[in-house]
Amino acid sequence: MRSPQALIVAALLLAAARPVPAADTGDWWDRLQVHGFASQALVHTSENRWFGDSPEVSYEFTEIGLNASWRVTPRLLLAGQVLVRRAGDMYDGTPALDYGLADITLISSPAKRLGLRLGRVKNQLGLYNETRDVPFTHPGIFLPQVVYFDRVRNLILSSDGAVVYGDLYSDAGNLSLTVGNGRSVIDENVEWAYLNNDFDGDVTPDTNTWLASLWYTTRNERLKLGLSWASVRIGFEPDAGSPFTVGPGTTDLDYGVASFQYNAADWTLSAEYAREPLKWRGYGPPIPDRDATGEGWYLQGTYRIRPDIGLMLRYEEGFANADDRSGRELEALSGGLIPRYAGFSKILTAGLRWDINPHWMVRVEYAYNDGTFILSARENPDLRDQKRYWNLFSAQVAFRF
Amino acid sequence: MHARSALTITSTQLSLPIVLAFWLILICPGAGAQEVIANDDLQCGALTQNQARLFFTMRLQACPDGDPVKVFVLPDDNSLHADFSKVVLGLFPYQLRQVWDRQVYSGTGQAPTTVRDEQEMIERVATTPGAIGYARSRPRRSGIKLLEVR
Repeated sequence: MRSPQALIVAALLLAAARPVPAADTGDWWDRLQVHGFASQALVHTSENRWFGDSPEVSYEFTEIGLNASWRVTPRLLLAGQVLVRRAGDMYDGTPALDYGLADITLISSPAKRLGLRLGRVKNQLGLYNETRDVPFTHPGIFLPQVVYFDRVRNLILSSDGAVVYGDLYSDAGNLSLTVGNGRSVIDENVEWAYLNNDFDGDVTPDTNTWLASLWYTTRNERLKLGLSWASVRIGFEPDAGSPFTVGPGTTDLDYGVASFQYNAADWTLSAEYAREPLKWRGYGPPIPDRDATGEGWYLQGTYRIRPDIGLMLRYEEGFANADDRSGRELEALSGGLIPRYAGFSKILTAGLRWDINPHWMVRVEYAYNDGTFILSARENPDLRDQKRYWNLFSAQVAFRF
Repeated sequence: MHARSALTITSTQLSLPIVLAFWLILICPGAGAQEVIANDDLQCGALTQNQARLFFTMRLQACPDGDPVKVFVLPDDNSLHADFSKVVLGLFPYQLRQVWDRQVYSGTGQAPTTVRDEQEMIERVATTPGAIGYARSRPRRSGIKLLEVR
């Protein structure tokens, strides 16, 4: 961090950390909270690899998180979480800093709130991105993949930078706006997803990511409507002299999600539509310059038979290119190397969740898949071997405190 | 004929309030039987429903004159908790849980302190500076005051 920025941050932290004169609540450890979660899933597919060797039975889907937050003063919160995530060939369980931030409230009243988050901040994209790895916070073992890709999650997961947030609370409802800028925390899966391979060289963000989200909720938070957006350019730096590489190209990526949710006493209906305009430039012959628009939507209903038992039903469709939903153009362009059904996924999912007590939860899930768009090329490197129709069974046990 | 219909109307007029009252009792179990309680030293005045919601969702940390608050709640499956969140806050208990989880697991906020039962709630609120919580009725214990929710 350059020094002028560091100075501003230090000044803001000092301002927020001003001692509160009267009735400071209790001791410091009283304002420290430690929470965590752990989950283990079992995954089986009829065809294709999904989170490990699923055509056998894969246990390679584990999520463990441990966080601490300290409310230093009513205006300053420090928080951080370490995440261990094992997801087939995509993630090996190396611990990573999921977020680590200072949240500074500049204005806070019953009518409005304005603040700043500095550090590594989870991106507020769609209904679930911020807490996507915490099983308790979303229906289903797997998130709707056509919007929340697991094969390339890091590009939009979090960023190292600053986010300004503002909330307005009124009789007409609550409005919430966030605007952020930071460096995306990306990894090899990004290269696999956008270049379909692991060439010799490094993928890095070429520009900072811009993020914005706008949410409206009714006063009782039954109805929730949101628009969120992220924009980033990733660049590829080939290894000099390597025969197995491509040119120093760039991929421009925008990601926009429109969200809807309605919460009733015993059911919740959610729907989201995502669009992802992409531009590949300068990689040379193996990856021709081209534009495409990824697209995905889902409709998801959950019904709570009892407060501790929930049913989930979801239908989703996703396309590598909205202008080529059948994938025929993709197949032709690749000279038959990519089957057309790798260009789409249509998935029907049914799941059952049981919250045994406040700490333990188990769930089971079945998904019928038409298409392989959601599969990771890293897990299924020979695209011609992918099977168009496949079933996915999974079960999960999760704990939290 | 005329006399009979006049009688019928009278009995309908009589039974309507009774039926209404019966339904109100059925659909609002314990309506009006939850009070927001606070530590006696907390200077906060009466609350709007919006303000109460902001405190219990942990999005507002202090009273207008700057007194920090500390929020206590009962477990999600406690019936007083369910009644309080529905009637006083206008939220289903699962919505509160969603808001807290979102904050706790994204580092943007905290969760309230959960206590075992109403008795412990009253004890903790009475002895913790800045504490707010809720009870079925005005507790018979010193150190506690009621906060009116308008």
